Amino acid sequence: MTSRRHLLTGAAAAGLGAAAGGGLVAAARSDTPTSVAAVESLTTGTSTVPFYGPRQAGVAEDPPAHAAFVAFTLPAGTDRRALGRMMRLLSDDAGRLTQGVPALGDTDATLAPLPSRLTVTFGFGTGLYRAAGLESPVADLPKFKIDRLEQRWSGGDLLLQICADDPLTVAHTQRMLIKDARPFAAVRWVQQGFRRSPGVQAPEHTQRNVMGQLDGTANPRGAEIDPAVWNDDGSTTLVVRRMRAEIEKWDILSVADKENAVGRRLDSGAPLSGTQEHDEPDFTKLDASGLPAMPDFSHVTRARVTDPSLKLLRRPYNYDGVPNAAGQPDSGLIFASYQKDVARQFIPIQQRLADKDVLNEWITPIGSAVFAIPPGCTDAGWIGDQVLG
Amino acid sequence: MRLVSPLARGARLRPLSSGPAAPPHAAGVRRFLVAAVAFVAVLAVASPAWAHAQLVAATPSQDATLTASPATVELTFSEDLNPEFVTVALSNATRQRLPTSTPSVAGPTATVTPGGPLVDGVYTVAYRVVSADGHTVQGSYDFTVGTPAQPVAAARASTPSGLPWFVLAGLGVLGLALAGAAAYFYAFGRRKRP
Repeated sequence: MTSRRHLLTGAAAAGLGAAAGGGLVAAARSDTPTSVAAVESLTTGTSTVPFYGPRQAGVAEDPPAHAAFVAFTLPAGTDRRALGRMMRLLSDDAGRLTQGVPALGDTDATLAPLPSRLTVTFGFGTGLYRAAGLESPVADLPKFKIDRLEQRWSGGDLLLQICADDPLTVAHTQRMLIKDARPFAAVRWVQQGFRRSPGVQAPEHTQRNVMGQLDGTANPRGAEIDPAVWNDDGSTTLVVRRMRAEIEKWDILSVADKENAVGRRLDSGAPLSGTQEHDEPDFTKLDASGLPAMPDFSHVTRARVTDPSLKLLRRPYNYDGVPNAAGQPDSGLIFASYQKDVARQFIPIQQRLADKDVLNEWITPIGSAVFAIPPGCTDAGWIGDQVLG
Repeated sequence: MRLVSPLARGARLRPLSSGPAAPPHAAGVRRFLVAAVAFVAVLAVASPAWAHAQLVAATPSQDATLTASPATVELTFSEDLNPEFVTVALSNATRQRLPTSTPSVAGPTATVTPGGPLVDGVYTVAYRVVSADGHTVQGSYDFTVGTPAQPVAAARASTPSGLPWFVLAGLGVLGLALAGAAAYFYAFGRRKRP
């Protein structure tokens, strides 16, 4: 007992010493040495993104750390009026939850007050337009030879993209909105993913995927987003593809092999023809041995577009499931890209990558879905009211 | 699997060799066999380093001096090429890439046709292919058309992610030394036991 008391006394003394030291440092730094200033940065949880507006949220904002993509299947016989009722309920609760207000009839209202930049983005699949008797602005993707699509990650009549900087907020929102949709539609698939946590990197920093590559360097930024993403009416389109990473095979490669496959340095993200991440790749440059510095079959070489209106706004999330009994990981990327026009922007790039991209040796598309993202709505309306109303 | 079976056999041999009925020289033969198997096993482990595609023949050949412009450049590798992932770049002495046809690939051979006749000078053929295991193999060599204006530079061939040949050779020597040490300790180590 004496030893524990000594320990406690010693710890208290050390704590006092540290507090005194901290006080001294604070006093030295500021004329008003009141309290430690760390608390004032605690805004991550209370940050909000407006839900109502001419365009839906969850597209152009810097992506929050966590996401759930929830796809639904409409039962046969669903009509336009039922779709309207469903979207009224979903829009209303999404509008509340994104502002930190409990959903109507929220069974765990205590989970609502920390929205953490929560956004809920609604997408309509071809089946929803068919049910409503309308022509769909999107079509299913053609089959690519690299595809190994599984039903359980593909298709969908309605999509909810739920994003927030906190996974509990995403979980609560997912539960409340699935409750709203349950009388109208069945859950088809859910894909949950993550990026770096808030505060880990500067917001505009390009993030790494589970394969260690910087992912999104070529994304349109700032004023470049509008011409690539938004139609005049505030609508856009979303492609969601689940890309399994063949990490055990990827692990065998040396850094140089990985860099040849991607066309960028792994550490800096610089194209192999340059030195900085945002250097324009120079596809004509030869290295010292006379080879093109950017390999012809690297991912960057194949995916590159220079016309700003043809770019994709990629908003991917990593996934990392449960390893199998042999310890092999179930990891990859929930590839999500926003673009004005799938046929004009997405398909040509995907076709070039499917034809020839050495990175295909280590990534396998196992899920695929396309959605139209209808315009946003006012607080008196609901998402889809211009389409279904 | 190549490794496991010889060692397992060795493990079974060992108690037999020390049995009282075995003539001394027979035990020695078995020891030698076990050592030889271990030696081969070490080499077998090292062999994947040589499993990547390698350039085995080229026309024009490395450091060749041609009297006339070559009609084609033909490279043959040690394994069939994936036609999707074959780059052959022809450049001149000032490192300007020259136009060629896209490589036509037949089995292990890639062929390009220069876009026009090559004037007298030194040229570099650079290649980049992807082995069946995904490993990128690249390298380059020079040849000369007409009278060389300058000494031909030494060929540069490398597997960018692999190890230089002298490191591989060093590893090979190390492997042999390990195998030899294993054999030595197996053959003589037991005698020191009481």
